[in-house]
Amino acid sequence: MTPFTKYLKLITIAAGGLTLCVHGAQVPQRIDIKQLSKTVEDVVVPLPNEIFGALNKLGTVNWKEHVRNDKGTNFTERPRIALLLGTVIADGFIAVQAEDAPTVKEIGQRVLALAKGIGVGNSITPHAKAIIEAADKRNWDSVRQELDRTQNSVQQAMNEVHDEKLSQLVSLGGWLRGTEVLTSVVSKHFSVDGAELLHQPDLLSYFQARLQAMPEFNLPILREIGDALLQVKPLIEAIIDECLGKSPLARKFSAGSDCRTAIDGCRLGR
Amino acid sequence: MKEGFQVREDYWGGDLGSGEKKAVRQQLFKGNEYWFWLGTEVERAKISVHIYDSDGKLAEEPDGWEKGHFAAAHVIPKTTGSYFVIVNVEESPEERTHWALVYGFR
Repeated sequence: MTPFTKYLKLITIAAGGLTLCVHGAQVPQRIDIKQLSKTVEDVVVPLPNEIFGALNKLGTVNWKEHVRNDKGTNFTERPRIALLLGTVIADGFIAVQAEDAPTVKEIGQRVLALAKGIGVGNSITPHAKAIIEAADKRNWDSVRQELDRTQNSVQQAMNEVHDEKLSQLVSLGGWLRGTEVLTSVVSKHFSVDGAELLHQPDLLSYFQARLQAMPEFNLPILREIGDALLQVKPLIEAIIDECLGKSPLARKFSAGSDCRTAIDGCRLGR
Repeated sequence: MKEGFQVREDYWGGDLGSGEKKAVRQQLFKGNEYWFWLGTEVERAKISVHIYDSDGKLAEEPDGWEKGHFAAAHVIPKTTGSYFVIVNVEESPEERTHWALVYGFR
C-alpha cells in the first residue's frame, strides 16, 4: 500500500461517522445509467468475507461444516494455481468464521506454498507468518486483515510483472468459493434474503468477459468455468425476477457447485 | 477497525481532469453496511463521491461528507446488486488530479 493510501486510511479512521460538512452542492438524485454503463471500466470484486458477513446476519450459519482442510491437488499450470490460490484464501475466511485455528494455520502454509508455485512467494511470506501468529492468539480480526493483505499482495505482485490475467483468476477463485458456500447455505436454509445475495449479474458478466480474454491459457478448466457461468446467469436472473420457491432453487444452486468442482479438476456433473 | 468496519486492503485509483467523473461498478450485499472514502494529494482540489443503484437512483445515506480534498459516502444497500460509485473531481488546480478510493464494510 502506498504512503498516500495509508494516509487515506488514517483519514477514514479520524472522520468515520462524523458529518464534517454536508454535501455542498445539490447531489443529483438520479443519473443516466445507460450513458454511464458505456464508460464504466472498473468492476470491484468483493472479498468472500463480504458475502459471509451478509450471510451471518441472516441467521446462525454452521461454518464448521464448510471448512475444508484437504491439501487438494498439486497443479503445475500457473492459471490453475492462481485459481486455487483464490479459493484457498476464501477457505481461510471460512475457517475464521468457524474459529478453527488449526485449519487457519494450515491454510496460511498452503497459501504460501501456492504463492511460491507461481513465483510470488516473497511477497506472501510475512503475511503467512502473520496469519499463523494471529490464529494462535485467536485474533480473528487480524487473521481476516492478513488474508485480505495476502490476496492484495499476491495480486499486486502479479500486476507488477504484467500477469494481470493471473491476478483476475485469483479473484475468480475466491469469488467462486464464496458463491459456492453461499449457495450451499441458502440451499439448506432457504430465505428470500439469502437467495437475493446471489444477485451478482455484473460480476458474472465481468468474469465471463475476463475468461474469454484468456484464450492463450487454453485450459479445459477455464472453459468449463466459463460455460458454467453462462449456465448460471439466466438461472440467477430467474431467481431474482420471479417468485421463489425452495425446490426450484435447490436445482439451480447445483450449478454453483459445478464451478467449484471444476476448479479442483473434477468433472462437471459428478 | 473503528466500530467493526473491515477496511479493504486494496484501493482503486486513477486521474481525472477538473470537472470529470468516473464510475466504478461495485457489488454490494443487503445486510452489509459500507463506507467509501475518496482522497487526493492535491490539497486545493474539491472532490466528491456518491453511490447510485443500478437504476441510477441515489442510494446513499445522508451522512456522507466532503472536506476539500477528501470525501466519503455511506450506504446501507436496500437490495443486493450492482451499484455505481461515482468519483468526481469538481475543481482542481492541476490539469490531472490523481485520486484513490478505499472502502470498508461491516
